[in-house]
Amino acid sequence: MTCRFSYGRIAHVMLWCGLAVASLSVSIPKIYSGVTEFPLRPSGPLHTSDSYLKFATGVSGLSKNLISIFQSTNASKRVIIFTRKDDTFSCGLGMTIAYLASPHLVRVFEINGTHPDNELSKMNPHEVAAVVFCRTNRPAWLPAGKVFGSGLEVVSMTEKVRR
Amino acid sequence: MSALALLGAFGTLLVAGYGVLALLVRQKTRLTLTEQIAFSWLLGIGVVSLLLWIFGLFVQGVLLPGLVSIICLSLGFVGWRQTVPLSLGRRGPKPFEILLGIIVVIEIASVFYLSFVHTLGWDGLLNWEIKARYAFANGGIIPATYFSDSGRAFSHPEYPLAIPFTELWLYFWLGQADQFCAKTIFPAFYVVGIFLLVALGRRLAGRTWIGLLVAAFLFFVPQITVEVGSAIAGYTDFPLSVFYLATIGYLFCAAKPKNDALFRLYAACLALLPWVKRDGVILWTVAAACGVFVILATRKSYRSLLAFFPGLLIICGWRFYLNAMHAPQGSDFLPVNLQTFGSHLYRIFPLLSALLEEFHDLRIWSLFWFVIAVGISYLLRRMRDPRVLVLLTALIVPIALYLSIYVFSSWPNYLDHVGLSISRLLMHVTPVGFLITMLAVSRRSVKNRARVHECGVVTCVIAGSERTPGVELA
Repeated sequence: MTCRFSYGRIAHVMLWCGLAVASLSVSIPKIYSGVTEFPLRPSGPLHTSDSYLKFATGVSGLSKNLISIFQSTNASKRVIIFTRKDDTFSCGLGMTIAYLASPHLVRVFEINGTHPDNELSKMNPHEVAAVVFCRTNRPAWLPAGKVFGSGLEVVSMTEKVRR
Repeated sequence: MSALALLGAFGTLLVAGYGVLALLVRQKTRLTLTEQIAFSWLLGIGVVSLLLWIFGLFVQGVLLPGLVSIICLSLGFVGWRQTVPLSLGRRGPKPFEILLGIIVVIEIASVFYLSFVHTLGWDGLLNWEIKARYAFANGGIIPATYFSDSGRAFSHPEYPLAIPFTELWLYFWLGQADQFCAKTIFPAFYVVGIFLLVALGRRLAGRTWIGLLVAAFLFFVPQITVEVGSAIAGYTDFPLSVFYLATIGYLFCAAKPKNDALFRLYAACLALLPWVKRDGVILWTVAAACGVFVILATRKSYRSLLAFFPGLLIICGWRFYLNAMHAPQGSDFLPVNLQTFGSHLYRIFPLLSALLEEFHDLRIWSLFWFVIAVGISYLLRRMRDPRVLVLLTALIVPIALYLSIYVFSSWPNYLDHVGLSISRLLMHVTPVGFLITMLAVSRRSVKNRARVHECGVVTCVIAGSERTPGVELA
């Protein structure tokens, strides 16, 4: 009996009960808000990339469209992606595009400002499958491509464009 | 249809893992059902991902999953022939244990819910799932061009493949790459982590309720459940932490004479650490050093040193593969040498300060680190026990090593690098911290041998109390 109800044992139990209660009181609000923050969303094979693209451009279900555009171009040529150095949205969008652009090799250019004229003029159009502008401006001399929401434009390099 | 396919993928994983478990345990040690499920999962992940990688060097297309499935089923047959003895309880669960069990089940359901509500995290998609997707599209092997493509260097082609190839295994069964279904792996790891904590609670503390109680608190560490890089985000940090928990937990239990089966389980999980994440090499080094210490301290056969061979093989094999593929080296760190160390030594105090700040961040860690500090203070008096020393080393040394690698950070602002990743790195040792808490909470139980004998399992607590002082000091 002495052992079961010693002061040491009582202190031990009280210490750990106190720590448990304090931990719960700190954690529960955070966990609760985490659990209730979002409702269940529609699932799908591309649900994560769709969410990222919707966040960046405002357009739903974009991944599938982009994949079909890239698949329609020559797989042996590169996809060129322009992003802005000072813009995390643009960089994130660029990486998501690079993810979807498989099996093409990609080249991501992080540029200062929004006009990639210099970089683009140095490229050989015959080695490029598509050019993607992520919150950057397409040069006026390049034919218009498909625009998706705000800040995303994809120009497929067809023979007509190359000429 | 997807549910059936997922069932098939998980089933073959578990069957393969159970076969390996049976081969390792060899009917010599009783394991509880939770332990058997947990190890079947962990070993299954290791076997299937390694087989996909190795066979992928020779075959691709339909042949690859077919071949791996045959091996999984063969391993399952071995497991069926050499069934691992089940540790059955002598008594039914107490009401308090039932209550804790219900709480844990609700928490697991919440983690599954959270996992499906949230999308894959940034790294989960662009560092890990990307490899599974590209491999699936290329007949089961990652295209060689992926490794050399500078445009995709952001996705770290040099990262190992345990988790991506587990996702790939799901894709083979589903017949398509599916970002949503890939997420099912991660709450499964949470379940396995819980199972291991419960089982280790019983082995370390001698009482099931302590394991259940501590496991229930895992849910209340925000970094584990709801923060960036948590168990639901599709990152490999939580899976790595579960592998590390199994490694260290069963090394602790293996530090008992004639407990070679548990030592083999330690060795198997140890080998898989560098295969889960690159940082796993650091955890492998620490856990291997702890293993050497246990071998020496408990006078195990020197043949036990062979336990480190599979891990070394994986580390060297992966490095060789990356070199052959001309994969770029990560650019986040400067070359590790004395000159760089000397010129960046000024970072140490700011780094320590950042670490302390992280420990104090209640939004991310709640009171976890404070509780761990209390737990460590309890264990200081038992430092002569080599197993306690192992546990403390396994918690503290990785943190010190992780912190020291930021000395070599190549980021313009290295503190940004720390801020972005330290919480995820600390997560690797979090479950081991729970083991320390278990030992501290059960302090009183250690003195009472009669009360720690439970359910027919000889627990590590008893083993500890049976140890002679001479062996403890060895």
